[in-house]
Amino acid sequence: MKWRWLSYGYAAIVAAAMGYFLWDVPVQVSDSYGNIVTASQGTLGSLVSSEFHQRAYLRPFLWGVIRVVLDLSRGHYFEWFRGWHIAQIVVLIVLFLRLVRPSTWSGAAAVPIGLAALIGMHTFAGTVQEAFPINTFMTVLICAFAAADLALGPPGSAPPKRWAIMREGGRDITASLLFVFAALTVESGLLVGVVFIAAYLVGARGVSRAGIGVQLALIAAYFVLRFGILHVGSPGLEERQSGFGFSSLSPDDLVARFGSNPLPFYAYNVVSSWLTVFLSEPRGGTWGFTRDLLRGEPSPAALVNVVASLLGSLVLGLYAWRRRGDWLARRFDRADQLVLVFIVVAAANAVLSYGYTKDVILSPAGAFFAVALAVASRDFLESIGNMPPRHAAAAIVMVAVLSATWSVRAIGAHLGLRASAAALRGEWAYVDLWLERKSHVPTDPSALALKRRLEDDAVRRHPLRPMLAGEWTQWFPE
Amino acid sequence: MMAVSRSAASAIAMAGPAVVATLMIVTFSGLELLGHTPFAVGPFRNIAEAAGMGAASEVLRLLGNGEDPNRVLPIRGAIISSSVRQATALEAAIWSRRRELIELLDRRGAIVDAPTRQHLACLAADLDARDIVEFLSSGRAPACEHGRTLDLVLERTRKLEQ
Repeated sequence: MKWRWLSYGYAAIVAAAMGYFLWDVPVQVSDSYGNIVTASQGTLGSLVSSEFHQRAYLRPFLWGVIRVVLDLSRGHYFEWFRGWHIAQIVVLIVLFLRLVRPSTWSGAAAVPIGLAALIGMHTFAGTVQEAFPINTFMTVLICAFAAADLALGPPGSAPPKRWAIMREGGRDITASLLFVFAALTVESGLLVGVVFIAAYLVGARGVSRAGIGVQLALIAAYFVLRFGILHVGSPGLEERQSGFGFSSLSPDDLVARFGSNPLPFYAYNVVSSWLTVFLSEPRGGTWGFTRDLLRGEPSPAALVNVVASLLGSLVLGLYAWRRRGDWLARRFDRADQLVLVFIVVAAANAVLSYGYTKDVILSPAGAFFAVALAVASRDFLESIGNMPPRHAAAAIVMVAVLSATWSVRAIGAHLGLRASAAALRGEWAYVDLWLERKSHVPTDPSALALKRRLEDDAVRRHPLRPMLAGEWTQWFPE
Repeated sequence: MMAVSRSAASAIAMAGPAVVATLMIVTFSGLELLGHTPFAVGPFRNIAEAAGMGAASEVLRLLGNGEDPNRVLPIRGAIISSSVRQATALEAAIWSRRRELIELLDRRGAIVDAPTRQHLACLAADLDARDIVEFLSSGRAPACEHGRTLDLVLERTRKLEQ
């Protein structure tokens, strides 16, 4: 019990520190101001229903949640949107602890590294450094962790049969609602269904067989709705530039190179997306660290990233190797289930990124990497006691380097938030120039009042905090 | 006994660095809340410092507080360089090499007359900030004596040191 409370106490400190840095980030101009203006039009019902008829994207609940928070804020936009983001971080960290369940000394010792990996993972940065004004990827992370918690959660002490049936039904219904909400918030939300199915396949019975059947039906229904009924489609090659090899290709380059046969490009994106979860390379499809390494000028921050991920993946690989006998015999304990769910989520997340890959899209896989790393590290710690002395010494050194590099990444995540806050404030300072260049100068009185209020929030009411400077910052990945 | 000490060592190796990192972040945050700013340049002491660092939001805020962008103000050596410690916010903004910041200050009426514009354009030319020269002189090459305006600004700091 004491290890559990110690872990929750530590996690509270981590959440508070992240919250302090998050409170510094203003509501951004790009991707937020226009979204708030759009979300404030009409009624909640009309806003959500109109989003079912968009092209390329099907995200009605994204808009619904923005509208709900907007209405609740009653003009206190900064406080509500920032507060919402901080609350999301708290919920995510609590769910992380519910998944890894630190109840022993080794479990508690693995919590700091797990949380450092959760926050320091490069795929996580996009879930906190920006918002639209609610970060949909963060919403999906919470839904995915909640799905894993629901799927892996034990039934507890056996209740009377009648209650057991009701509870099972309740869990199945909750699972279905969770999937529908996540999938209609952003495309990555489909991974919630993957979590339920993967957990079931590795023996977790928090959701019943019937519930898994419903999940499969809902996934099928999503595709029928999106492509067969609403004809929403998906973004094409011409939408964005994309990393490829050692550089990036413009939309025109992409169309010229892959327009007639995009399959090789899609395959490249899937493989790149999968590798980045385990190696922190490539990033957004670009092999930047490898390129710089070949030139003999690797960035220290990228080096820290790659070393941390390589060692983390090594710990996961060792865990899988030690457990292979049980896995082949289909005997899975909770830690096995978490590691295997991560492996499936990483693969599914990579497949979902076929059209376009960037760090934040892989945030669900990155978050489950942190969970898997925590449980695999716990197992590794326990195994050190049985190693020959030399092996044990080498293992302890490796563990220290693993923890140190992930710690540097976690500090970097905070520095990244500070840098992002400064950049977003800069956006507000130049908002008039920016809107003019985009030919989006607002004329509607409510849109103008909103702009003034958000600008006032970013520039005057919550001014820039001191800017961190020095050569030492180059060692910290942002 | 051996196993216990090994367990303790491995647990410390695993949790230690991450816990220390978290404590560093918490300590940094606490110090900042108390008004200390470790590892940081700021807070800016005036509008010229903010402009020198290209912190547009702070420039706007301090402008709103009534600070004069044309007044020569003391600037810490870490902001631009140890040889530039006396400058106006407009001059400091040129050192930041952010054309948008100059444009922003111009829109707010900070460039009050033609001689000021000419002075800034010549300083930008001396610093080889071509896009700022282009903005300030509307595409025409400004009539400047090479290096004179820069020397004028540097002279203020030299005087300070005497």
